[in-house]
Amino acid sequence: MRNKKFYYVIVPLIILIVWAIFSNLKVISPLFLPTPQAVFLEIINLFASGTILPDIFYTLYRAFLGFIVACLIGIPLGLLMGYSDSIYYSLEFVVEFFRSIPATALFPLFLLFFGIGDQSKIALTAWTAGLVLIINAMYGVHLGKELRIKAAKTMRMSGFILFQKIIFPEALPQIFSGMRISISLSLIIVVVTEMFIGTNFGLGHRIIDAQLVYRISEMYATIFIAGILGFLINKGFIFAEKRVVHWKGK
Amino acid sequence: MAMIEVENLSKEFYQPKNKIKTLKVLDNISFQVKDGEFVAFFGPNGCGKTTMLNVLSGIDKATSGNILINKKSPEKSKVGFVFQNYNESMLPWRTIAGNIGLALEIQGADKKKKKQTVEHLLKKVGLFEHKDKYFYELSGGMKQLTAICRAFAYEPELLIMDEPFSSLDYSTSRKMGLELLNIWKETKKTTLFVSHDIDEAIFLADKVIVLSQRPAKVKSIVEVKLPRPRKLDVLSSKEFFEIRNKILRLFEYEK
Repeated sequence: MRNKKFYYVIVPLIILIVWAIFSNLKVISPLFLPTPQAVFLEIINLFASGTILPDIFYTLYRAFLGFIVACLIGIPLGLLMGYSDSIYYSLEFVVEFFRSIPATALFPLFLLFFGIGDQSKIALTAWTAGLVLIINAMYGVHLGKELRIKAAKTMRMSGFILFQKIIFPEALPQIFSGMRISISLSLIIVVVTEMFIGTNFGLGHRIIDAQLVYRISEMYATIFIAGILGFLINKGFIFAEKRVVHWKGK
Repeated sequence: MAMIEVENLSKEFYQPKNKIKTLKVLDNISFQVKDGEFVAFFGPNGCGKTTMLNVLSGIDKATSGNILINKKSPEKSKVGFVFQNYNESMLPWRTIAGNIGLALEIQGADKKKKKQTVEHLLKKVGLFEHKDKYFYELSGGMKQLTAICRAFAYEPELLIMDEPFSSLDYSTSRKMGLELLNIWKETKKTTLFVSHDIDEAIFLADKVIVLSQRPAKVKSIVEVKLPRPRKLDVLSSKEFFEIRNKILRLFEYEK
């Protein structure tokens, strides 16, 4: 294999070149596809003027707050479901059912309960991310090695000690995977809900606004920024994962 | 009175999907173990050794029969257990010292005692320099040594080892045998060691309890009167071969 970096950049580079050719030759109307240089300049402009900063701030604030609420509720609940069979059987159907409902289909309902402000957006984010975390924390416990528990039982471990010393650390890698999925999901939900109602700031709001008034390069630029944010958050999580759950897969 | 008394121990498993209602795994097993004795169980694969150990360590119940360990039932006694599969019985998220320390933590030992015990054991087996490495960073032999140290750190009344060296290569498992005897002689813990390697069983033990195919019965109890401390050259001695042949002959007519 050649240099890793070579493979890393080659496909993005091809996409960029194809995009540049098509848009500059106006094969596709600039009304749908602006040139990469126009989008790039727009990104620079959005940052230089600072107008994008409150949007980034509000989107991240909502996504993180929703995510944190999801962690605080979803992880303990999932662990309980994994640990206790009676809790598992009581809640399995409900969790699986709610998980099957497309999150965005519930947004009108959340608007009804939580109003059109930040609360409904954060609540829907927490709901969606929370369900993912419940499932992952639960599987984390279920996928734990039986022999490890048997070994602990020969040392007469039980109850909270068994949970604290064996079951919880064993579930951690899976919990981390769940966190990584749900933080990306949080960003998606927040951006979608921002497109509807009740805010003057947020990346979703800017994207839909730009589209409505045909500021197409601004729309592309904002989509791009949202993508980069998601990418960086994911990378950050992978970085943390390697350090916190260093034993994963070993 | 012996330290361990096993009397007419039987174990049957109920099989809901099978026409034959129960699967008999242990059939009327009786033996005694003296305090400080090293006993090896030798028998064919799948004969029910693991089931027997589960019952003896109190994590499974016998169908019938009696077990007394220091005059107590197995659930009430303190058992140090070493499994064949060290990767799944130890904690990869902890260091070597942390894995051994677990046995002391759960008994509420203070930090000083924990450190002393852990370091003493690690020095004894020559793993002291690796104490801060994570469990997954070690070789198979070192991992199993850590597991053995954990069992000793637990300060059990009885040590149970279920084919601990059978996933290691020949020379490593011989070395492990020596290391095990080296820690064992310090405290002379009563030990039950299950093996399907006849050389290993004889080399380590004071007596070998030979089990039949499933359902396991005690075929014979063979005393091993080889001098201690044992060295590897005992493997080629005349006495060793005599014991070995005596045990192998027991299996000649079993088909």
